[in-house]
Amino acid sequence: MFRLQGSKVLAVEMTGDAVKAKNGSMVAYDGRMSFKKLTGGGEGLRGMVTRRLTGEQMTVMEVKGQGTCWFADRASEINLVSLTGDKLYVESSNLLVTDAALRTGTTFTGLRGASQGNGLFTTTVEGHGQAALLSDGPAVVLRVSPQYPLTVDPGAYIAHQGNVRQSFQSGVTFRTFLGEGGGEAFQIRFEGDGLVYVQPSERNTIAGDL
Amino acid sequence: MSTYGTPGAGPTGPVVHDPMTLPADDNVNAYTFCVELKSGQWFLQKGKMIAYYGAIEFNGIGHGRLDRLVRTSFHSPLHASDWVVAEGSGRMLLADRAFDVNSYDLDDGNLTIRAGNLLAFQPSLALKQSIVPGFLTLIGTGKFVAASNGPVVFMEPPIRVDPQALVGWADCPSPCHHYDHGYLTGVLGGLRAMTGLGGVSGEEHQFEFVGAGTVLLQSSESLMDETATGAVPAEPGVPGGGVPGPGGHGQQPPGAPRLPGQLGDLQRRFGL
Repeated sequence: MFRLQGSKVLAVEMTGDAVKAKNGSMVAYDGRMSFKKLTGGGEGLRGMVTRRLTGEQMTVMEVKGQGTCWFADRASEINLVSLTGDKLYVESSNLLVTDAALRTGTTFTGLRGASQGNGLFTTTVEGHGQAALLSDGPAVVLRVSPQYPLTVDPGAYIAHQGNVRQSFQSGVTFRTFLGEGGGEAFQIRFEGDGLVYVQPSERNTIAGDL
Repeated sequence: MSTYGTPGAGPTGPVVHDPMTLPADDNVNAYTFCVELKSGQWFLQKGKMIAYYGAIEFNGIGHGRLDRLVRTSFHSPLHASDWVVAEGSGRMLLADRAFDVNSYDLDDGNLTIRAGNLLAFQPSLALKQSIVPGFLTLIGTGKFVAASNGPVVFMEPPIRVDPQALVGWADCPSPCHHYDHGYLTGVLGGLRAMTGLGGVSGEEHQFEFVGAGTVLLQSSESLMDETATGAVPAEPGVPGGGVPGPGGHGQQPPGAPRLPGQLGDLQRRFGL
């Protein structure tokens, strides 16, 4: 059971079950816990090789036991996400804790990933359970529906879930090279049906200065 | 109807926003501001948009079509490259490095703000460089959005404030420097200020405001990054213009090497 204690600490109550957490993110626990480092994100040999190849590396530990375990990372804001059979796409650096029952993997994101400076691949989380995401400042959850497509700055994007298509928009024109661009040269457009998580802060991206 | 009606753990889950539930020209949370555009325009600092619904176009101020708008509401031609104009219809979210953001309404008023803190403003306001270097003045009627490190506090003059906490001031309350004289005069005071020995509290210098108006302070002393306000014309009488007035005191230009035997600030203190 995931529970936020304040907005920057996650408390997980466990009764013999397990969660997967970012390595080193445990800040306290009571009861009996065991911490086991999972090589290659706990996705087996194939996952390990994929992560090595794609650069979407994730050091994960399995926390198992009885009691309460608290997690936090660099005083980042934590956001809870419930998954009911759908798929969550998130950058591995923004993923704090997932239920052990959720499957994680990697997927190709194409230009969107490149524009965020996060590489061409991203992490997927799938199944039934809860996950905790990290963001710089509390995330704003925006709904994408067929009548309301959404456009997001790559530097502020942290995750999305549901059945959405994403396309990459570039507003680079000759003005960009004259230093008179619109300041938002790269954007990701989401269409379909789902949720997008954005943070009130922008990572440094190649698009940041255009 | 969307199948993503209730994400998260039921009622305790996060609030999901869509164009219907996003506030119009108001804060979504302390760090995010939502602007509603109805085929209108807003000025914003480059790169502060994080997401938008609808059809919004972002153009640099140098865009030819915007010439007229720039002429009427943008009077700092030399730092135009830091600003863009958002144009179109929809709702747009603004944020700045997870700093607190707030909107302020001016009703036929004026407000001077540290250049790095200003995020966006309505074109019904005119933006001008302030005579005080590093500050910008907004004049007119309309809304603007400013970021600050921690929530903003509004104070009434007379007041003395720490230079790092000052965000801006409204309605001309005569900003000036104030020094605590006990600490800064005399031989010991000079030595203290130069060397830091003998106990300096770090609060000997303040900004002083008197008169009618409002002073805006942020609740921390970490400054936001400076943004350029643009160079000022190099004319005599323009602060920061780099041209000394006629009959100046022949003051040593800053950065010039101090000659042996000269005591610099100390020397002036003693009237030598």
